[in-house]
Amino acid sequence: MSTSFLTKVGVLRLIPVSGYVQASRTTTSKHFNPKFKKLRAQKYMKLDLPNFNEDINQLPKEKIRQKMKERGLLPPRPWVERPFYISATGGVFEAYVPPEGDGKASIVSATRAKQTVQLLEKKSKSMLAIRKIKSFEEEFDSKQFPSFAQDVYVKAHESLVNGDKMALRQYVTEKAYPEFRHNSHMKTIHWKFLDSLEPPRVVHARCTDIISKDNIFGQVTVRFHTRQQLAVYDRFGRLIHGSEILAKDVLEYVVFEKHLSNLYGVWRIHDKIIPDWMPPKEPSRLTRVKPEPEPEPEPEPETVPAITDNKESQVIADK
Amino acid sequence: MNKVFNLLISSIKCQVPKKLHTSAFLLAWTKSRLPKRFLEHNKTIFPPQQIGEERRLAYVCHQVTNIKYSLDKLWYIACLVRGMTVDEAVKQLSFLNKKGAAYVKDAILEAQELAVKQHNVEFKSNLWIAQSFTGHGRVIKGVRRHARGRMGEVRYQYCHYFVRLEEGSPPKDYYKRNLLTPSQQLDNWMEQMRKRKITNSI
Repeated sequence: MSTSFLTKVGVLRLIPVSGYVQASRTTTSKHFNPKFKKLRAQKYMKLDLPNFNEDINQLPKEKIRQKMKERGLLPPRPWVERPFYISATGGVFEAYVPPEGDGKASIVSATRAKQTVQLLEKKSKSMLAIRKIKSFEEEFDSKQFPSFAQDVYVKAHESLVNGDKMALRQYVTEKAYPEFRHNSHMKTIHWKFLDSLEPPRVVHARCTDIISKDNIFGQVTVRFHTRQQLAVYDRFGRLIHGSEILAKDVLEYVVFEKHLSNLYGVWRIHDKIIPDWMPPKEPSRLTRVKPEPEPEPEPEPETVPAITDNKESQVIADK
Repeated sequence: MNKVFNLLISSIKCQVPKKLHTSAFLLAWTKSRLPKRFLEHNKTIFPPQQIGEERRLAYVCHQVTNIKYSLDKLWYIACLVRGMTVDEAVKQLSFLNKKGAAYVKDAILEAQELAVKQHNVEFKSNLWIAQSFTGHGRVIKGVRRHARGRMGEVRYQYCHYFVRLEEGSPPKDYYKRNLLTPSQQLDNWMEQMRKRKITNSI
């Protein structure tokens, strides 16, 4: 019987099978007797292989606790201290409002007229502030200051272009530093200051005390109307903004700040006033594929009749 | 007296190891052993291009470290993908029935995303695999018992995978094999045959 069965099976094996057949192994390194499999496995020392790519932040809290306990690690102390350094204010107080259409010859306009009246009111305040600055800094002169400010302005930009972070700190306050460096990482910037169209002038000045009465900061706004050249290249040297051959007229209101009560305080760039009437920015040369809008979640059909009723009745019963 | 002394010693033995934290010291300040050089290529800044110069093509380097897989097995997959467009590579890898194919596929997709987000590549399909290779990772050594009180070493190996995507379309002949068409082969053969010297002939 057994031989006949075997022959039958043997014949079956030779029949070509149509369709997909999973590849079967004819030779195998497995031991013919599985009896000793467990014993062979015991020859290997048990090891917990580490997962080097494990993301700790994804793990649940209990798991992290368990892992730290295994290794005898103490939980990190929460760091509550927040270092801060007061040598600059966090913003511009009583910011200068640039007259509309400044830099272009259009003096006759309703808003412009209103602004000139307001300007006269504010001028007295500026005078007071300048007097206060003079009490701390005797050499301060609102006629001489703009040329000094322009020097700081040019040097700040040059140190940004050269990637000189240490020098940039001398010309820029802590508030303006990140704003200056924003988006300049891994880029090559070519910047040139050509000339002034109008001589720079002081348009605004303010003083404020912070925390105590003696701790005084001075802010002076200077108007620059200049011609500049700017070209920004990305990491691969391709032009992404501006041009190497085009010069542009630039009208800027730059706020300079000094910690007056500090003996070693210096005038540094603090902020730039951007008026609302400023023409819109030039679009970026970098084009990218517009991401597809996220599909709005479909409102779920209101099919919760029996269950909610039950719940409500339960709540009522509990009450 | 002896008994008391013994007690003291045993109490010391019990207390000391409990109070001392020894593992934390070892874990702190350990140096990273991950490969660093390959990613440095992402930081090179090229000089600005002149007007009219051909646009320089972007590239991005990416690595996946310490994959629990054999370096040698991963190498075949790394070779397969070389010189393909990203879309083609992803398609091929998703039909490759190997554990390592998933790691390579993920790495390529991650690199593609990096290229678009950080390296000013406009179209994510306009990338090809310029470099793809493997590297040795950490090796953890285990012990296996042999007969007659002997030991054997077991190496649990990890490996790294490195990939560089470049903008543009892949070259026609990535491996520079200079494949000839049948007619060219025939021409070459004919030339060779005509050039041969038959000894003792006119």
